[in-house]
Amino acid sequence: MDKVNAPVGGHQAIANARRLGTSLRKKRIRKFVGNKLAVFGLAVIVVFLFMALFAPFLTPYDPLEPNFGQTLKGPSAEHWFGTDSMGRDLYTRVLYGARVSILIAVSSSLIANAIGVVMGAFGGYFGGWLDKGLVRLSELFACFPQLIIVLVVMAFIGPGTFNLILVFAITGWTGTFRLVRAEYMSKKEETYVKACEAFGMSRLKIMFFQILPSVMTTVIIQVTMNIPGYVMSEAGLSFLGFGVPMSTPTWGTMLNAAKSMKVLLYAPGVWLVPGCAISLFVLAVNFFGDGLRDVMDPRQQ
Amino acid sequence: MAKYVAKRLLLTLVMIIIISFAIFVALNNTGVDPISFKLGLDNYTPEAAAELREKLGLNAPLVVRYLRWWKDMLSGNFGYSIAHGYSIRSGLIAKWPATLEISLTAMIVSTVIGIGIGMLSAIWQNSIVDYLGRMIAAIGNSVPEYFFALILIQLFSVRLQLLPTSGRVPAGAVTFWDRLPNLILPVAALAIPMCGNLMRYTRNTMLDVANQEYVKLARSKGIPEWKVYIKHVFRNSMRPVVTVLLFRMTLLLGGSVAVETIFSWPGVGQVLTQAITASDYSVVMLYTLMMAVLMLTISFLVDLFAALLDPRVRLDK
Repeated sequence: MDKVNAPVGGHQAIANARRLGTSLRKKRIRKFVGNKLAVFGLAVIVVFLFMALFAPFLTPYDPLEPNFGQTLKGPSAEHWFGTDSMGRDLYTRVLYGARVSILIAVSSSLIANAIGVVMGAFGGYFGGWLDKGLVRLSELFACFPQLIIVLVVMAFIGPGTFNLILVFAITGWTGTFRLVRAEYMSKKEETYVKACEAFGMSRLKIMFFQILPSVMTTVIIQVTMNIPGYVMSEAGLSFLGFGVPMSTPTWGTMLNAAKSMKVLLYAPGVWLVPGCAISLFVLAVNFFGDGLRDVMDPRQQ
Repeated sequence: MAKYVAKRLLLTLVMIIIISFAIFVALNNTGVDPISFKLGLDNYTPEAAAELREKLGLNAPLVVRYLRWWKDMLSGNFGYSIAHGYSIRSGLIAKWPATLEISLTAMIVSTVIGIGIGMLSAIWQNSIVDYLGRMIAAIGNSVPEYFFALILIQLFSVRLQLLPTSGRVPAGAVTFWDRLPNLILPVAALAIPMCGNLMRYTRNTMLDVANQEYVKLARSKGIPEWKVYIKHVFRNSMRPVVTVLLFRMTLLLGGSVAVETIFSWPGVGQVLTQAITASDYSVVMLYTLMMAVLMLTISFLVDLFAALLDPRVRLDK
């Protein structure tokens, strides 16, 4: 090996790789921008996040303070979306509801995926009885309707934002587990992993510093694609009365108003507003996630 | 094959025991006392509660009660709801037909429509049918079934006054046509999201398969286009579609809990929500157990079916 030229060649290779990297990123951004639905999704997500973050500045009302002089009013200049059966402004409640609903969905998705990644890494890399056990465990969770496990578990730990995130995370890791496990099973046969093993690198280091970066694309897409499901599950559970406590404004607890016959039949605005917020947000994240996947991982359609 | 079936059945049994024990332990530690629900506020005294507890055998150790529960289950004695006193046979098991009625109908409807439009979408890619199909799929994937249920009630019951808002006409004396109006809305609420899901999935797998070499070969041999699709594309793209069936069934049964509540549909979902509120674990347990048996059976059937459709899948490995 030519000792004098090696570092230069190395630098050049790195420079080439950098240039390739930026052009690849540019290409990806261009591809993403070309996807109108994905851009629309991103825009809607940004608007929702903005509204959730700056809720107190965007509305003069309080999301919890009842106003019994103004119950079940239709849309007007003071109340853009009208008011609910306790006279609370619906626009305000959608803004504040976005905070909790999005927080629950995003953190559940992050934690569930973290669990899935760790389990998948151990199962896929080590194999053997550990892998078998984890696969059985994941089948156990996957063969149950998630909503029903969550219902039963929430019944005995009681409603609450934190409890809900916990239950979502514990029951939602199986999809990521399966994908990550499969990736680790194929990656552990690759030369660079074999080289690291030959050098005596610790297995944990190989798993989380060598292989994990190459699996991250899959994980990021999974995190995005799982968010819609959690938004809908939160709302469904809170609708039934087993999610977050009714005193917390979320899109789900707002929908709960539709359990009253009067509201369901004669005041459709009260449930239409949170329902549309849920659907629009979920639609946006779905479009964004599809776009992201097309750009980052063209193999997996 | 026989070995695989035996192994699978054994595994299912083990899973059922684990699941039931976990739920039994969990529900015994809820902190909510079903006895106080049963007695109600007026009759509650510590002595009365203790007496009732003794009478119902709730003072025995956990494991003893668990084994006793299994003994009862196996002898067909499903017991009584602790909180409300109804017999579980009439209060829970008798409600399954109502739940299966809407979920299976929704499944059939969504399968026919979903696969149908998904196929047309793939065959006439980028046509109007495809765009409409994709739009419906996107909406179906984003709007939760309980919201569809509310919209449908508002639209068809309140505005157009065409269909009843809730309830079920029991089978028996009346004809199918008398029962249909009550069935349409709940089934539609469950089927629309499912349709979206399936449409998208069918379209994508069909396009995947249609781009493979052997399909090109079939075309280049001059086989008519419809025959290429029916004989070569359709069959091979159905295997993954069948596999999602399991997940669709779980989604349907999960979703039916909310839909049953909205339409006052007298199914097991409604019983479950009431039982959970009262921490009525004899009911919740049996419900969860029945769900586990149902799901494990379906997953078993899906695996078998996948093997029948695809000779490359070997079960006895």
